[in-house]
Amino acid sequence: MNEPVIAAADLRKIYTLEGGLEVHALRGLNLTIARGSYTAVMGPSGSGKSTLLQILGCLDTPTSGSYQLAGQEVSQLAEDALSEIRNRRIGFIFQAFNLLPRADATYNVALPLLYRGLPAPKRLRQAQEALKRVGLGDRMDHRPNQLSGGQKQRVAIARALVTDPDILLADEPTGNLDSKTGEEILALFDELHREGRTVIVVTHEQEVADHCQEIVRIRDGVVEKIEAVSARVLEVA
Amino acid sequence: MLTENIRSAIEALFANRLRSALTLLGVVIGVFAVTTTVSMGQIATAGITAQIQDFGAQSLFVVVNNDNPRATRFTGDDIEALSRLPVDILRSRSTGGLGRAGNEEARITLNGQTANAVNVDRSLRLARGRYFSEAEYLRAAPVIVLSADAAETFFPDLDNPVGQEIVVQVGQSRTFYTVIGVRERIGGALGAFANDVSGDIPLETLYSNFPNIRRNEYNVIPITVRFDVNISDIEQQVRAILDRRRGSDTYNLQTIEGALGLFNTITLILQAVLGGIGSISLLVGGIGILNIMLVSVTERTREIGLRKALGAKKGTILQQFLIEAVTLTVIGGVIGLALSIGSLYLIVALVPFIDTVIINPLTILLALFVSIATGVLFGVWPANRAANLSPIEALRYE
Repeated sequence: MNEPVIAAADLRKIYTLEGGLEVHALRGLNLTIARGSYTAVMGPSGSGKSTLLQILGCLDTPTSGSYQLAGQEVSQLAEDALSEIRNRRIGFIFQAFNLLPRADATYNVALPLLYRGLPAPKRLRQAQEALKRVGLGDRMDHRPNQLSGGQKQRVAIARALVTDPDILLADEPTGNLDSKTGEEILALFDELHREGRTVIVVTHEQEVADHCQEIVRIRDGVVEKIEAVSARVLEVA
Repeated sequence: MLTENIRSAIEALFANRLRSALTLLGVVIGVFAVTTTVSMGQIATAGITAQIQDFGAQSLFVVVNNDNPRATRFTGDDIEALSRLPVDILRSRSTGGLGRAGNEEARITLNGQTANAVNVDRSLRLARGRYFSEAEYLRAAPVIVLSADAAETFFPDLDNPVGQEIVVQVGQSRTFYTVIGVRERIGGALGAFANDVSGDIPLETLYSNFPNIRRNEYNVIPITVRFDVNISDIEQQVRAILDRRRGSDTYNLQTIEGALGLFNTITLILQAVLGGIGSISLLVGGIGILNIMLVSVTERTREIGLRKALGAKKGTILQQFLIEAVTLTVIGGVIGLALSIGSLYLIVALVPFIDTVIINPLTILLALFVSIATGVLFGVWPANRAANLSPIEALRYE
C-alpha cells in the first residue's frame, strides 16, 4: 500500500442547533486513504457522509480529532488557510457542476489558478491543457449554456485537475446526468485513477461505487466497514 | 487579481443591464445635483464679485437715516468736512417727472450731478456722445446724458440719440434738454434686471429748473475712496466726522463690500441648502446601491461558495463585491458629472448675465471622491456578507 494521502483519526463533529440541541454527525471516525487509490464513500442519509465530505474537502473543520492531508495537519486551520489548502490540494467535482454561467470553459477552468496567483498567460495555457485532457479541446470558448450536461461535468473535472491536486473529491458526480453520460464521466474517472490520481467519490449509487477499488460505508458517524470491490466488476466497467 | 475583479465586476453589471442602469440613476442624479449646485454658486459668486470689484469696491454711501424723524438732510458743510479725507465726493440731487420725446412718453428720473461724476463714478461709462463739462455745469446748460434704458425708451428707432430733444414735465413746469450722451448699460448680474429710465443733468441746471429743490441739501453722499487708500480707515473717519457734526443716529453708512459680503453669505447658504438636498438624493442613490448589492450577493450565493471552494480567500471575495459597488457608483458619478457640465454650459448659454462656465477641478475631484466613497460605504456591508459566507452553506444554497 502507498503512503496515506488522507489520515483521519477520531474525527468528531458536533453541530449545535438553535435551542442548544447537539447533533453528533461524526462520532470518532477513523479513515486512511492511500495515495493513488480509488475510493467510494457510501452511506444512508444522516449517516455523516456529507459532513465527512466537507471535512475531507477542508470546507469545514472537525470539532475534535486529527486530519492529516498529504502529511499536513489541517484540522485546526483558520478559514483563509483552509482556502489555500483547498486551492492547492483538493479538486472538487460537484453534482450540479457549479460553473460560472457567464464565463467560457477556459475561464471556468482557469479560476482556481487565479486564486493561486498565477499570471494570465500561464493560467490560460494550463486551462487549455486541462480541457484537452478531458476531451474538450474543441469547446474551450463555449459557455456553460452551450454545453451538454456531460460536457459541463468534463469542464468541472478539468477545473479540478488544473491545479494538480492531491485528491479529486467528487460529490455525486453523475447525479445530474443520464446513465449513458454518467458512464462516460465514470470512465473518465477510471482513466484518471489509472494515471495515478487519488479519486474519492461520494455516492449513493452502487453502480457508481462499483467503479472504485474500495467502498467505505459510513453509518452513524463512523466507518461501518470497508469493502474491496471485486476485480471482475472493474473489468466489466 | 485586481484587474480580474474589475473585469468580472463589469461583466456582472452588464449581465443585468437594466437593473444596473436603474441603480446607477440614483447616483447619477445625486452627483449631478451636488456638482451643479456647487458650480452654479461658484459661477454666480465669481461673476458678481468680479463686477462689483470692477467699479464699486472702493465706494461708500452715506444715507440720511429716515427712521429718525429728527435727522435732517446733509448740508454743503457736511460735504466740505468730508472732503478733507483722501476721497472724491459727488454731490447729487434727484427729481422725477414725465419725459417726452416725439411720441414716446415715460417716467424719468433726473439726476443732478457735478461734472466730475464721469471721472469719479467708476460705474459711469458712456456708450454714445460725452458727459457735460465743468463749463456746462457752471452755466446750468440744458443738456442731458441718458441711461441706456432711457435712450431705448424715448428713442427706440434711433441708434444714436445724441442731438435729440427731450421734454420733462415736473408738476407744472416743462423743461427742455438736449441729449449729449448715452450711458453704458450696467453690465452683468447687477444691471440685468434693473429698469433704469434716468438722465444725468448738471446739478446747477436742476437747481435753476426746479427752484423748490433747495441748494446744499443732500439725501445721499456717495464717497469714492482712492485706490491706494484703505476703505475701512476711511469708513471710521467718515463716522467720526459725522458723529461729531450730526450724531450717530442721523445717518447710515453703506458699503458695496457689505452688500457683497451679504450676497456671498446668501450664495453660500443657497449652495449649502441645495447641495444638502443633492446629498440626500446621493444618500438615496447609495441605499439603492446597498439594496442591489445585497440582492446580488444573495443571488450569487452559489457562485461565492464555489469561488471559496476553489480557494478564494475572504479578502478576495470582499474586494470583488466592493469593486462591483464602486464600479457602479463611479460610472454613475461620471455620468452625473458629464450631465452637470453639459447643463452648466446650457445655463450659461441661456442666462444673459452669466458668461463664464467655471468648473473647479476640485469640484470634479470631489464628485469622483464622493462616488467612490458612496460605493465603498454602501458596498462594504454586502461585500462583507459575501466574504463571510460559509462555502458549505453557499454551495448548498438553491
